[in-house]
Amino acid sequence: MRRRRSLGIPLAAAVLLLAMPAAPCFAQEVTVRAQAQPMRVEEGDQVTLAIEIAGESLDQVPPPDLSQIDDFQILGGPSSSTRFQWINGRTSSSKTYTYLLRPRHAGSLTIPSLGVLVHGQTLRTRPIEIEVLRAGGLRSPAAPPPAGSMQGGGPGVGPGVGGPGLPRPGARQPGGAGVPEVRVRSEVDDHTVYVGQQLTLRVFLDTQTQILNLGLQDPPTFPGFWAEEIKVPENLEVKRVQIGNAPFNEYTLMKRALFPTSTGSLTIPPMSYQIQVRRLSQDPIESFFFTPTETVVRRTEPVTVNVLPLPAAGKPSGFSGAVGSFNIAVTADRASSQVNDAIGVKVRISGEGSLNALGASPLPELSDFKQYAPKVASTVAIQNDRLRSEKIWDYVLIPLAPGAQTVPPITLSFFDPRKKEYRQISSPAIPIQVARGAERAGAPAPAMNQSDVRQVRQDIHYIKLAPRGLVDRSRPFYRSTLFALLVLMPFAADLGLLVYARATRDPTHAGRRLRRERRARGRARRRLKEARRRLAPATSRAFYAAVAQALTEYVADKFDTAAAGLTHQRIEELLAGAGAPDALRADYHRALEACDYARFAPTSSIGEEMQRTLQAAERILVALERSLPG
Amino acid sequence: MNRRFARGALAALALVAIDLRAARASTPEELFAKANSSYEEGRFEEAADTYGTILKYGLKDPRVLYNLGNASFKLGRLGPAILNYERALRIDPSDLEARDNLQLARARIRDRAPEAEIPFPIAAIQGALQILAPDRMAVLFLIAWVAASALGGSFLLARTETRRQALGYLLLGGATLVLLAGLGLFVTVRMNLEPVGIVMQDRVDVRSGPAEDNTILFTVHEGTRLQLHGRREGWFQVSLPNALSGWIPSASVEAV
Repeated sequence: MRRRRSLGIPLAAAVLLLAMPAAPCFAQEVTVRAQAQPMRVEEGDQVTLAIEIAGESLDQVPPPDLSQIDDFQILGGPSSSTRFQWINGRTSSSKTYTYLLRPRHAGSLTIPSLGVLVHGQTLRTRPIEIEVLRAGGLRSPAAPPPAGSMQGGGPGVGPGVGGPGLPRPGARQPGGAGVPEVRVRSEVDDHTVYVGQQLTLRVFLDTQTQILNLGLQDPPTFPGFWAEEIKVPENLEVKRVQIGNAPFNEYTLMKRALFPTSTGSLTIPPMSYQIQVRRLSQDPIESFFFTPTETVVRRTEPVTVNVLPLPAAGKPSGFSGAVGSFNIAVTADRASSQVNDAIGVKVRISGEGSLNALGASPLPELSDFKQYAPKVASTVAIQNDRLRSEKIWDYVLIPLAPGAQTVPPITLSFFDPRKKEYRQISSPAIPIQVARGAERAGAPAPAMNQSDVRQVRQDIHYIKLAPRGLVDRSRPFYRSTLFALLVLMPFAADLGLLVYARATRDPTHAGRRLRRERRARGRARRRLKEARRRLAPATSRAFYAAVAQALTEYVADKFDTAAAGLTHQRIEELLAGAGAPDALRADYHRALEACDYARFAPTSSIGEEMQRTLQAAERILVALERSLPG
Repeated sequence: MNRRFARGALAALALVAIDLRAARASTPEELFAKANSSYEEGRFEEAADTYGTILKYGLKDPRVLYNLGNASFKLGRLGPAILNYERALRIDPSDLEARDNLQLARARIRDRAPEAEIPFPIAAIQGALQILAPDRMAVLFLIAWVAASALGGSFLLARTETRRQALGYLLLGGATLVLLAGLGLFVTVRMNLEPVGIVMQDRVDVRSGPAEDNTILFTVHEGTRLQLHGRREGWFQVSLPNALSGWIPSASVEAV
């Protein structure tokens, strides 16, 4: 906010001093005083605090330190104004810092003594007591409380009290003494809207005086809304309105198209304006020669809007999310084409409301056209304070197959907040006659561009029929009796067979012999294993006994005779009779003899010798198993 | 007077005719045909009701479950759709159409199905077993079992050593097959009986314990598949494949 300085002309000042009741200060003396306005307020009302520093050369005086004010919230300020006086050849000046405060609670509150640093010296104001009544406790708007001055003598910041008796329509807007009635207020055109529906916010300024300058203290924020600015003319338009009995000038300061993005109770926060106005002065001389100005801060009230969600009932399946009232137009740049000859298709959706929610390409994939990503252009414009949107998709389609093709109807569903219902609009289908590509006489037909058959959309498979009736499958097969029976049956059959096999086992000598013969090799192997365990010089006797037993018992089992009665000669006869080769028989006897020798004429058998004997016995048994008939 | 009487009689006849038709459509097959024609005409609500009536008869045919899933899907009820596809697949896991539809329905629910990390070979075996219904596995097992038993019988009856040896080897192979088929049957049956539930409400909070005053751990939405672990008065203990677990009111979940 720019500060304006009203400089006095010496002559005018000379005249002025006659009107002044007293001079505030004299040479070199600097005085500081604080003044609050009004002294009695209701909770929530605002108090203007003016700190006046009077003296000479006050250019370098910084604003006072307000950090000690606890009971009040500082809404605005400081705005400063400077005045010069020239009395009897002396100039004096005064500088005033003005703040806008709001009491934090009711009761008797104190603005504490405030320090101002002047020429390196801290001067203090006196504390001011402000009586804050509970809301509704103050009921005398016609007679505002007098301005409180904590330092006698000298003029107040404003000349006189009350001004010309303005009406006070907004009790919360304090009209300071001499400060003309200025108010700002924000209004919306609808307090109940659907999410995504436009509501228009307007901020007005009502005044009875001339506005010299104004500006927003902070950039406005609209939490929960998407805001689009509606331009207001650079030179604010003025309208004469009647508020109460008094005429006011109404200026439109700001217009915004707001679109709620969430549901529930949303609040548009207050906005503070710093406004420089022409002060009303009862002093004809002052008002003739000067432009007495005052900077005031005014705040709008917060506005609460109830945002409804879009109704769930009747929501179309392909609802785009757009809220408003729209039209759709689809055009093709030609009605007939050739295979591989591009066609331009333009889809234009326009209307009142925002199209931000509309994302996906409206034209579905077409199986007989190759489709490139569209060029998308979207514009918004304000018309009669309503947002109008337009979105254009430019498609290039390449026909892939000849014949009567169509660009199918494009459907847009949106919610119309005025009719409070969902609407669905469709464009007509556009027929496109596609001819085969240019064919030259005699020339072979150009190769058709082939493409894969593509699935363009997904859906569930269709329902099934039961031509042969329904089947109850609540009990699975694996839990049925049949399954249990089928598992048990082979088991039972095998058990039966086992019993049968045992019962019919050959009881004759031949049968027994067969079984003994079958076991021969297993027994011999067990004997050899036993021998291996005794493979040590200390147990050499047992070792050789085991090997000899393995060899003899094998032959005994094979030929079903008693092992005890087997002599070398008898063995020789049996093996020769069974057709065992001579060399093998010789090996057999040698091994057996070696064992006998070692058993009955113990020598110091060394491990290697025993190992050799064992290996020989194993080899002989394997060879015998092969050469003897099974 | 006469004409009025005639008109009244006609109306009465028409009413009787309608009544008869309704009464006639009472065998499950007729109800099925009726539900199918409702579906074909786009009256999905009616179709779903009629399929439900067939199931109330206690007749569990996978086609009825599948069609009910379809009708629910068309009505936008993803929870019942997924539940019925799952139930149909329990009976007939080889139904690829039900599998496709289930996949499509799952793709539309709010919660993305968290995938547990399963190494490839196990996942492949699981996939193969999923296609094999326990009933098919049971038939395979029976075939292997009967064959092995026959081999066992022949072994018992074999008289010569060579024949016994050959049959012994075959029997070993047969027993291995029986073991594998039995294992397969066991796994498929277990998979089939795995306690699983589908969330049937728009959104349900999963809490740290079986009471309303427990902390909300996470929220699941309609159609999400949950493993059911325990049950306590009105609450299920559930978990997701990514190991998130908690308690959920049993009214909001339907067991497959």
